[in-house]
Amino acid sequence: MSNHLISLMIFFPLIGAVLQAFVPNARSRWIALGASICASICGIVLVMSMHTQVADLQAAESLPWVGFYAISYDMAVDGLNALLVLLIALLFPVLIASEWNQKIGVRGMHGLFLVLQTALFGAVCAQDLFLQFFFWGLSALPFFFLVGIWGGEGRERASLGAIVVASLSGALIFSALVLIYYSVDPHSFSLRELSGGRLSGKLFDFLGVELPISGAAFALMSVGLALRAPIWPFHGWFTEIAQEAPSSVFVALSAGTVPVALYILMKDCYLLFPEILGSAAQVIVGAGTINLIMGGLCAVTQRGLRRLLAFICLSEVGLILMGIGSLSPTGAVGAVYQQLLLGLAVTGFGLCSGIISDRTGQSIFVNAEGERTLGGIATRAPIVSTVAGIVIASLLGFPGFGGFVGHALVIIGSYSIHPVTVAVAGGSLLLATYYLFAMYRSVFLGKPASGFQAFQDLTIRERAYLFPVVTALLFFGLYPKPLIELIRPTVLTLLSTIR
Amino acid sequence: MLKDFFLIMPEIVLVLTLALVIAGEITYYGEQTRLIAATSLVGLLGAFVQVLISYQYSASQVFGGVLSIDGFSLFFKLLFIVSASFAIISVSHTREIALDRRPEYCSLILAATLAMCLLASAADLILIFVTFLFLNIASYFLAGYGRKSVLSTEAAVKYLAFGAVASALLLYSLAILFASTHSINIYEMHRVLLASALPPYEMLIVFMLAFLAFSFQIGAFPMYLLVPDVLEGAPGPVSAFLSIGPRVAGFAVTIRFLVVVFAQPGASAGNWQVLGAIDWTEIVSVISGLSMIFGALLAFRQKSAKRLVGYLVVVETGFMLMGILVLDEIGIAAVLYNLVIELFALMGIFYLLAVLFEKVNSDRLENLKGTLKRTVPECICLIVFLLNLVGSPPMPGFIGKFALLGVAIRHHRLALASVGVIAMVISTVSVARLAYSLIGDFQSSTEASIPVSFSRKAFLASLVIPMTLAGVFADFVFRWAGQSLSLIFW
Repeated sequence: MSNHLISLMIFFPLIGAVLQAFVPNARSRWIALGASICASICGIVLVMSMHTQVADLQAAESLPWVGFYAISYDMAVDGLNALLVLLIALLFPVLIASEWNQKIGVRGMHGLFLVLQTALFGAVCAQDLFLQFFFWGLSALPFFFLVGIWGGEGRERASLGAIVVASLSGALIFSALVLIYYSVDPHSFSLRELSGGRLSGKLFDFLGVELPISGAAFALMSVGLALRAPIWPFHGWFTEIAQEAPSSVFVALSAGTVPVALYILMKDCYLLFPEILGSAAQVIVGAGTINLIMGGLCAVTQRGLRRLLAFICLSEVGLILMGIGSLSPTGAVGAVYQQLLLGLAVTGFGLCSGIISDRTGQSIFVNAEGERTLGGIATRAPIVSTVAGIVIASLLGFPGFGGFVGHALVIIGSYSIHPVTVAVAGGSLLLATYYLFAMYRSVFLGKPASGFQAFQDLTIRERAYLFPVVTALLFFGLYPKPLIELIRPTVLTLLSTIR
Repeated sequence: MLKDFFLIMPEIVLVLTLALVIAGEITYYGEQTRLIAATSLVGLLGAFVQVLISYQYSASQVFGGVLSIDGFSLFFKLLFIVSASFAIISVSHTREIALDRRPEYCSLILAATLAMCLLASAADLILIFVTFLFLNIASYFLAGYGRKSVLSTEAAVKYLAFGAVASALLLYSLAILFASTHSINIYEMHRVLLASALPPYEMLIVFMLAFLAFSFQIGAFPMYLLVPDVLEGAPGPVSAFLSIGPRVAGFAVTIRFLVVVFAQPGASAGNWQVLGAIDWTEIVSVISGLSMIFGALLAFRQKSAKRLVGYLVVVETGFMLMGILVLDEIGIAAVLYNLVIELFALMGIFYLLAVLFEKVNSDRLENLKGTLKRTVPECICLIVFLLNLVGSPPMPGFIGKFALLGVAIRHHRLALASVGVIAMVISTVSVARLAYSLIGDFQSSTEASIPVSFSRKAFLASLVIPMTLAGVFADFVFRWAGQSLSLIFW
């Protein structure tokens, strides 16, 4: 298959970002949205045209870039990344539409979103380690500006925290990359050439100590990605951003980069380090379990929507890590599926909470005395309450909603291997049911708090951009078959190389 | 003999231009500054074309081995001529140098360019020393060119004092070398040293003296102290020129001198090994690590933007030394690639800092607060240049950093490479601090934006576009650098 859909999809947003910077505000918004939608259409067509039941890379594009260092522009989609292409395709037009009426520097914000879309598409599709890291590094920079310019009171701390974490994580991943590159002969960055245990048994010398390359590279890479993912205990900057960033920016972070980080972790670990994956998986499952527990416990104590979302995201990440580390076909398929659903549910939740805090001027729903500050939105704004309800049901994994399939697959896949962690996951789901419904009750149900009266329901624009998110959540919950068929062969092939 | 003259045509063109400019400066009064600048630019263009023409000749030595015209020196000559052109164009966009002093500025830039071109191809101890002094004298004057600025005067005096020490060190080192080898040509010296190496202690002393002198020129660890002072004090266009002109010339002479005098061809092609009993690469590796760490940590603490960039330049020098000390053609090609990126990045940074300096009359971070709102395109370009300089991932500068760290790891210098990675992280954070101060209180500031003139946009485009292309077509630049090295006359 020799089309250039992937390249079009990656570079449309970038071209749009440059173009919209040179036209007046009134038209720039349409260009930004248009570019984003064009890219998304390319992405969706790409995924729809993929053959199911095929494990190979599809729609591959490859040309040498820096031949001096054997770096090539190597892009393709397969079962692992197809869902993320869908997620990013859906996410960014929605975000641009949600910031349609941004008063300050609208071109800058849309431009940064478009750059982010390019970066994430590139990082997801890249089949060359250098290229993957190149786009992944690009995805870190926009957040510094998005938080630093449009953030709340504590934006300086939050944006500097983000850049410190991003550069640390970049340095760690980069070190792993260079180690891997120089350990094989001829030197190569191509994931295809590096896969299948090429690194096994190789050692390198660091200050007189012999270390195995795959172990060191795995440690560097996973800590690097854990910093950005976020995985406990490296999540401090993440909650800080949740507190300070505009809701759309936080959605871009938690629904865009977090699933992509998990995808990169999964793909690179499965491909590059099959021989140590047995023990590495234990570490991943352990990190996932801790994430589930910490995310759940911290979420219970939250009184604000923003931080609550951050901790929900943390515990969802824990669930996906469990799936990745289970090394069973069902669990791994569930992890891939849940990456998409995590993104969608977080998008819905983040945008709803953004709408609420924009209209009411606050995101705290219970004040320090334990009295509710919002409440009774359901009677005055039924549509937003319904949307929030669907999103929460999906986050909790109720049958019929998107989250159910992912949760169920991960838990089934892990059960035979790590029964204890499954119990933890079950407990944390119960906890989530408690805190999410407590939140829902105090925000949407009951009588409104004193001093909180008017609340306008969703406008046409808001309905328009929430519609695809809700539809996708329901559709992927009721009819997961086509996507599962897309993921399954690739995951099975990958896992067969490990055994 | 006639062919020798053809080979030094770029220098001849530069001399003629310099003569024309000086003559024009003396004979004309009033508003002739544009004419002088135009003449200089035409001369530089001519020299550029001559360098390109020289590429068709194979590497050769002229005038009895005084100059060696090879791919290596041609590469550097192209860089010098481009940086001089940028320096001359950029001065007309800023007011830091008074209008009536611009002709002198042009002639000083041309003189310095001539010196740099000679230094890049010098293969003779006396010529190396003379051009070293020639270049630095022009640089002292340039550094002190700020209008009514105490900092600028201070910069010039410090530069002069350090320069005097450096020249003395260089002179001692060259004198010892001459006394023990009875030769002033570095290639003959190489042969003599191959036959009978110097005693280790003498070799160590010679190496340290020479390397200290060169580290003054490139801004490496023990002699880095003046770099931030000079770059902060000098007027913006001059800071740009000093950081990409004389400093790059320092790299040219350092590489040639180290490789020819202190190393010998190694077992495989494209490799060298240390000549003599002293493994000086260890010394250079310590210096490189210290430059990176000191530069990065000190940059982190700075409150003045120009000074911050000055320390980032020291970090860069540390990185480059990493590419040199592996004594490997791939490493030196990586250094050359980084120099190309730096040429555009540093020029852009100092130019834009000069532009912002005019608007807020300060380069303190707290005074720069909120400039993003007023001049969006300029600030975005500034941030892009800065990210390039420190090698943040999606930028062309990152490919350069990858290449340098890569050769270090290939040669099992993992500790040094780790120091480099840490320095990269710290410098990214310093850049983030600077960027954050540009953002300032973006949401609530109500200051009107200042339009950017067309000529300024064009100048910025002439920096950003080649730099981006150097990243997209990195392969081409690497091959060009590698080819320059294969044509080298060792």
